[in-house]
Amino acid sequence: MATSSVAAAGAAEQYNYDIVRKFTIMTLVWGAIGMFVGVYIASELAFPWLNFDNPYITFGRLRPVHTGAVIFGFGGSALFATSYYVVQRTCQARLFSDGMANFTFWGWQAVIVCMALGNMMGYSQGREYAEMEWPIDLLIEIVWVTYLIVFVATIMKRKQPHIYVANWFYLAFILATALLHTFNNLAVPIDIFSMKSYSLFSGAQDAMTQWWYGHNSVGFFLTAAFLGMMYYFVPKQAGRPVYSYRLSVLHFWAIIFLYMWAGSHHLHWTAIPDWTSTLAATFSIMLLLPSWGGMINGILTLSGAWDKLRTDPVMRFLIVALSFYGMSTFEGPMMSLKDVNALSHYTDWTVGHVHSGALGWVAMITFGSLYHLVPRLWNTQMHSMRLINVHFWLATIGVLLYITAMWISGIMQGLMWRAFDDFGNLQYSFVESVAAAHPFYIMRAVGGAFFLTGMLIMCYNMFRTIRKGNASEAQASISPAVA
Amino acid sequence: MSEEKVKGPTTTGHVWDDDLQELTNPLPRWWIWGFYITFVFTVVYWLFYPAWPIGSGFTKGVPGLNSITYTATTVDGKEVEKTTHWNMRSKYMVEMNELHAAQKQWFDKVAATPYEDVAKDADLMQFVNSAGKTLFSDNCAPCHQAGGQGKIGFSPNLTDDHWQYGGTYEEISHTIVAGRQGYMPPFKEVLKDEQIGQLANYVLSMSGEPHDAAAATAGAALFQSETAACYYCHGADAKGRTQMGSANLTDKIWLWADIPAEKTAEAKVDAVKKIISGGLARGVMPYWNERLKPEQIKLLTVYVHDGLGGGK
Repeated sequence: MATSSVAAAGAAEQYNYDIVRKFTIMTLVWGAIGMFVGVYIASELAFPWLNFDNPYITFGRLRPVHTGAVIFGFGGSALFATSYYVVQRTCQARLFSDGMANFTFWGWQAVIVCMALGNMMGYSQGREYAEMEWPIDLLIEIVWVTYLIVFVATIMKRKQPHIYVANWFYLAFILATALLHTFNNLAVPIDIFSMKSYSLFSGAQDAMTQWWYGHNSVGFFLTAAFLGMMYYFVPKQAGRPVYSYRLSVLHFWAIIFLYMWAGSHHLHWTAIPDWTSTLAATFSIMLLLPSWGGMINGILTLSGAWDKLRTDPVMRFLIVALSFYGMSTFEGPMMSLKDVNALSHYTDWTVGHVHSGALGWVAMITFGSLYHLVPRLWNTQMHSMRLINVHFWLATIGVLLYITAMWISGIMQGLMWRAFDDFGNLQYSFVESVAAAHPFYIMRAVGGAFFLTGMLIMCYNMFRTIRKGNASEAQASISPAVA
Repeated sequence: MSEEKVKGPTTTGHVWDDDLQELTNPLPRWWIWGFYITFVFTVVYWLFYPAWPIGSGFTKGVPGLNSITYTATTVDGKEVEKTTHWNMRSKYMVEMNELHAAQKQWFDKVAATPYEDVAKDADLMQFVNSAGKTLFSDNCAPCHQAGGQGKIGFSPNLTDDHWQYGGTYEEISHTIVAGRQGYMPPFKEVLKDEQIGQLANYVLSMSGEPHDAAAATAGAALFQSETAACYYCHGADAKGRTQMGSANLTDKIWLWADIPAEKTAEAKVDAVKKIISGGLARGVMPYWNERLKPEQIKLLTVYVHDGLGGGK
């Protein structure tokens, strides 16, 4: 480990920054790869010849490579990095075990690589966001339990009597993900030497298990965990206290309790019982204000420091992320109502909704947090504030292009599919709706290209920053402060 | 980080990582009221829809508040009216019944009217074009292309005057009902390459394409001979037979060899030679008898005959 050079500075008291640095770098790598694949498959939808009749790079196989690389590669690495950083600093304790933390790093990277290769080779469970076949699922299980042990054991040896709010969210995310991953992937391999397996559940139960997983991956992996990130980096960057402790307690427990019920809204108007559909819709509606609780607590933390929005591009990333979070957590409950869903289901509107959350919230809050984190990890300043600003505008324009394109094409598809003429005949054929969506597929790919360009500029900026920085000095300067 | 003391609301007194604190601000009033309103909305929604499982059943909403009435046909063919609590399947029935009711009078009329008279009835043709467009787009267009113009080497053009299997109403209907199996045997084992070349030149000559006149003359003789026996399917006049679906070789319409796309005379000859030597087994149209209803097939027949144009 990199700590050996500064062993003199009371190594036992120091934080493990080495693991945070490794995950941070992989966040950037997977972000660039995952978003590139995203732009490529968006272009394939607009111009299908781009698959070059090569089975390995067709949309069907690259799509889970994209989602896996951005959610688990980019998002997952960002969560490992920030949670290991935040839990150490807010507990004033070094990670429970460097060896186990290191195992989570190499294990997790192996998971992402195997997932991408497996998908391209055609191995898939056919479960959205859980395409990985059983051997990879087992590896995830082991890595995740190790993560849980490291995190909980670190909290247990804290020198602070109280557990900081960010850690509640991180811990909820780790626990829920373990639960979701385990039950959704219960499957029987057809042979011990085969990659193929079959789900333990069948029919509507199988679909409901999958969307219990799928929706709560959004709820706990992409929401709760990133709220944990928000609760550390927003007050830190703003230099202001969190707006309301009471609000954080209430919206935390409300989110934890309500999210688990909402998954079946992904299956409206299918062969599931009507009552599951209704419950999912209403619990989604009740999730609106608890979700906004996080947004309010983040944005109001800035009150008294609004001028920072003008001067600090990092702050801008964090606040715009919270705005997109607020917007997509309003849109989600609306889409979960039966009658709205009758229009939006199976259309690009859903894709736009996911990306306003994924790009606008998850990626933006990660960018802001990394711009705060990296200079501190390498004991230096960011190479260029101007490039952060350029990144901010590219990312913002990219998201707006993307979601606007998907709103228009999604609502248009929904309306065209159910348009009837006076005779009671369908007014449009399916292929007419495809042709009508084509310009918006191009617009979406352009929006994605903007976002990717911003990501690549960030990688360059980080590379220059890290090269001039000094990891061992950062290590030496962080002997825990006494509160 | 900021050194100044926080004014106004107090903090909880906990400090993490040098400067992380939490204020004791109350919940925003609009937030907590908004939260309550979602509870009220939720309960109301539960009154309108099936919501909670109880034992092996479930709550069905307040009786009469959001019930659905629809007509269904029983197994023994009786029409019955049913009223039930809100559920997806009943809602589906209601909507489909409405649309079918709108369509039914027109479909019935098409079914009861002879082909020729449908085309003469302007109102009826409006319906045929409306229903035919989506029926055609969703079922036929994948091969025959949007608008029915076909694709050389793949599917015949339905908008021109040429009909490989006949262009009367009855023939078109039969094509849709039973499908078609186009086939031409390969001649590469039967004929020498030179002979295939002569035949290709003859075929091109009949369509006014560039060709070698001497070879074409030899090809014409071969065409009628027992060695090649082309006339057997394509007819002595080479105009094809609709009973077999054999192509008319004397017009400028090309079904398989893309002659208009070939730039040089040699390439055109090669394209025809390829068909003669290799034969064809791809001219398959699936049958739609079990997939479409009889009234839909009749409507499509009129749509192809008169809507797209070119019927005989």
